[in-house]
Order: sequence, then C-alpha cells, then structure tokens
Amino acid sequence: MNLLEILSYGFIQRALLAGTLIALLCSVLGVFLVLRRLSLIGDGLAHVTFGSTAIALALKFYSVMSLLVTMPIVLLASLGILKLTEKGRLSGDAAIGLVSALGISAGIILASVGGGYNVDLLSYLFGNILSIRSEEVVIAALLCLGVMLMLTLYYHELFAISFSDELAKVSGIHTSFINALLVLLTALSVVLAMKLVGIMLISSLLIVPAAGALQLARGFKVCIMLAAVQGCSSVLIGIIVSIMANLPASATIVLVNLLFFAAACTIRRFIYPAHSN
Amino acid sequence: MRISVVVIFMVYCALFLSGCKKTEVAPVPGLQVVTTLFPLYDFARTIAGDKAQVTMLLPPGVEPHTFEPKPEEMIRIGRAGLFIYTSKYMEPWAEKIISGIESKTLRVVNAGERASYRTASGQDEHSHDRKGMDPHIWLDFSNASLMVDTILAGFVAADPGNGTLYRQNAEALKVQLAALDQRYRSSLSTCSTRKLLHGGHYTFGYLAGRYNLDYYALSGLSSDAEPSAERMIALVREIKTSGIRYLFAEELLSPRLTETLAKEAGVGVLMLHGAHNVSRDDLSRSVSFFDLMERNLEQLQKGLSCRAK
Repeated sequence: MNLLEILSYGFIQRALLAGTLIALLCSVLGVFLVLRRLSLIGDGLAHVTFGSTAIALALKFYSVMSLLVTMPIVLLASLGILKLTEKGRLSGDAAIGLVSALGISAGIILASVGGGYNVDLLSYLFGNILSIRSEEVVIAALLCLGVMLMLTLYYHELFAISFSDELAKVSGIHTSFINALLVLLTALSVVLAMKLVGIMLISSLLIVPAAGALQLARGFKVCIMLAAVQGCSSVLIGIIVSIMANLPASATIVLVNLLFFAAACTIRRFIYPAHSN
Repeated sequence: MRISVVVIFMVYCALFLSGCKKTEVAPVPGLQVVTTLFPLYDFARTIAGDKAQVTMLLPPGVEPHTFEPKPEEMIRIGRAGLFIYTSKYMEPWAEKIISGIESKTLRVVNAGERASYRTASGQDEHSHDRKGMDPHIWLDFSNASLMVDTILAGFVAADPGNGTLYRQNAEALKVQLAALDQRYRSSLSTCSTRKLLHGGHYTFGYLAGRYNLDYYALSGLSSDAEPSAERMIALVREIKTSGIRYLFAEELLSPRLTETLAKEAGVGVLMLHGAHNVSRDDLSRSVSFFDLMERNLEQLQKGLSCRAK
C-alpha cells in the first residue's frame, strides 16, 4: 500500500489533521501541568467524566447533550483538585487520585442504581483517532485556537506560577486566578479531546512531550516548542507507522512518543554531560 | 470533628439496616432460577412458564465481559435452585462466583456444554487476532436448540415435580427455533451477495457459518481491541470492490467507527443484535430472543439484498 493511496482516505486525513491539533494543544498545556506537578490530571478528569456521564444518562441526556451535564461537573472537579492542593495540604498527585476515585466510584454506583443502560457506556465514552468526523475536526481546531490564545495572553503569569507560586504572588500576580485558568483550560481540553481520540492518547500527550522537552530545553519558550514538535510529530509518525505495520494507531503514537523521550534522554547525555546524573 | 464522626456512624448504621432489610425478602415459592445472559434468561423463562421464577444477572446494556455481581445478587444466587451460564469463554467470572457460594441445593448448568464451538480466527488470512473460541454460540440456532436441552435437563433435575410441563415448554421452544432456522435459511438463500461485512468486533461468525455467508469483522473477539488502520482501509476497499450497499454495526455498542467507514465507502449502516444483552427499553418491553432475531433477519435481508418473500 503506497503512502499516496493511504492519504486519499478521509478518515486518515482527519486523523492526521485533528490528531496534530490535539497533540499541539496537549503538549503545550502539558509543559505547564508537568511543572505544576499535575501530570496525571488527564487520567483523573477522565474518571470524573465517566462518573458524570452516568449522571447524564440517568437524567436522559444522550450523545452531545450529555456534555451539558459532564462539562460543568468536570470543570468543577478540576477546581476541586486545585482547592485540595491549596487548602487540603495535599500534593497534586494525591488530590488528583482523590477526585479520580470519587469519579469512578460514583459512576459505578450510579450505573448499578440506575438499573443499567440502553447502550454500553464505555464504548460511547472514548473516541478513537481513526473515527473522527468532519465536524469534530472543526471542534479540535477551535479548541486548539482558543486554548493557544489564552496561553499566549497569560504567558508571563503562567510562566511565573510554573516555577514558584510564592514568587509569583509576591510579584503581584493573581496566582489563584491563573491556577484556575490553567486547570479549567485543561478540563475543557480533556473532555472534548477524549471524545475524539480516547483517554490513553490524551493522558500520554499531556505528559510525554513535556517530559521529553524538559530533558533538552534550556529556556521555557524552547521547551514549549520542543514539546509541541515532539507531540505533533509523534502523531504524524505514529499514524503512518501504524498503517505500514498494521498496528492500532493510538498505541503506536504513544510508543513513538516514548521513543522520542528516550532519544531526548540520550541526547542530553551527549550535549550536557556535566548535568546528567 | 466529633459531629462528623457521629454523622458517618449514623450513615453506616442506616446503610447497614437498609441493606439487611433488602436481603431479608421472604422466600418466594417455586424454583428460583438465576441466569447470566439474555438468551439463557429468555429460554429459561419460557421453559419455566409460571412454575419457576427466572431472573437475569446482567443489568441491561452492560458488556458481559466486565460484569461484577453485587452482594445482594450473590445472596440471590446462594438461595436459588438453578444457576445457568453460557460457557467459560463468555462469562469467565461465572465459575468464580459459583466457587464462592456455599449452597448444597444450588444446581449449576453450563448451557453451552453440548454446543459445537467455532474458532474466531478462521475469519480471513489477514487476521492475526488472538485465537479463541467464539462464545456467541446462540447465534447458531441448532446450538440454541442444544442449549434448550441442557437448560431443560437442569430444570427437570432441580424440580422433577413439574418435569412434564417443563418438557412441553422446551419442546415448543425448540419447534419455534427450528422454524426460525428454516426462515433464515430460505430468506438468506435468495440474497444477491453473500458478504456480511461488520464494522465492529467479531460477533456473528455462527450466524454467517450456518447460512453460508462470508463474514468479515473489523476487529477480533475482544470488544475493547482497537482496529488497525490497515484493516479499516481493507474493509473500505472490500466494500467498494464488491459493490455492497450496507455495512453492519452491532446494537448496544457505539456505531462511531462503523459510521466513519460507511461514510468513507459511501454506503449505509444497518444494525444487528448480538443478543447477549438487551437495552433497558427492550427489557421493559419484554422483547424475546425471537423478536431480536426477526429484527436481525429484516436487517440482513435489506443489507444483503435478498428477495422479499
């Protein structure tokens, strides 16, 4: 099968396009999240989405309408994670774990109390990068554009809180607003993007490109760019490789991403020998 | 702090009491039968008539592979006289449940023990999927008939007093299954194509095998496996070259992937029912296995362009 023929299929084109947009979005957001020690927020919010989808189905909100129920709950949950780290003397991972456990247990209980469903819940919850619809490419583009715009507008504030909350506060930044902005943008991206490409891909695109870029980058802007390049190229390469090697697309993208990370670690040993170890 | 401890304690007490109240139901007279999946439930309730009470363990709409019983359901199984499951391939959890129940009166029926099994790997040469037994045995109606025999044997052993009635009901059920089989055979012999293309995970191998249809499913037996792009492309090509007009999707599961492929190939989507479980709406309308299979036959006749009878 030659490449040109493969590219003539609509679903491959949409996967490449929407996949790249979502990778860009996630890898840039990921740099801030990894530095704020909120790397696993993607997984945590996915579990909350599971729980809130059960509520949506119990209230008879189906398909797109279910977002009316899930979106506010997930946004609130993301603020809850933030509050737990600020007020509850908890670190980010424990706060995420707590909220995630609440989400998944609530979902299971509601599913049981509700007496079952008309559909298999899990098969509707997560998308697949190869089954993106045309209108969803538009959603991905708008989401990417919106989040990038906000990140650019508040770049300096976000940069400041990524390294030290106290220092940022002292220099007159509304840290609670900026923190809230970061987690809300993340929650919005996770809920929408999960429906398009599935949670495994979202979670890994939030963490791995940032982790790879942090191995090499000396400046913050360079780090963001490296993460974006790694995220986007792993989606493009991953999709092509998955077709050539007859492998599932999402898992291949994740593996390509991890290879990039390993390469970054190796390169780091050569260019900054004094700093490694 | 102390108040919250008291509140939590009270909540626990309330939960405990309500839990006890629920399980202390007075025993209902007659044979109690617990079944796992929908076909067994439907066959068992037909055989039972009004002499036994049949319940289905799986909540509507839930995937059978990932089921976990509630404590109350474990108690219900412990008090039942008959527990019916399909096979170890379909409900790997069933044997675990049974081994955890200490009941001298409970009779366990493996309904699929006499059925003839097919492997799912025979689907085509592209497939490198896990080789495994296809557990959807009831979609071959001769197997369904054998399952009725096995279930009947369980009923008669558990409640010999009503044996004659159970035998009569089972006999009527088998006549109905044979008639259904005959209808499928004659309707599907007139189709202009024999290719049954399914944009989902491998389910309808028995049905296709019995009526000489070529079955091609997008992914293997496991319902959570992700299909590769190459298989998706191969399926689109197959649709285009063979001039098929419909791609099939499975009810209860998200038709997203199937719709994507159907759109790509410019064909329609039709739904087939795997019948292992039913939706909440269908259950409350108390549809039967035969209703679902008649629905499937209509969809097949349309999708494979069969002559209307």
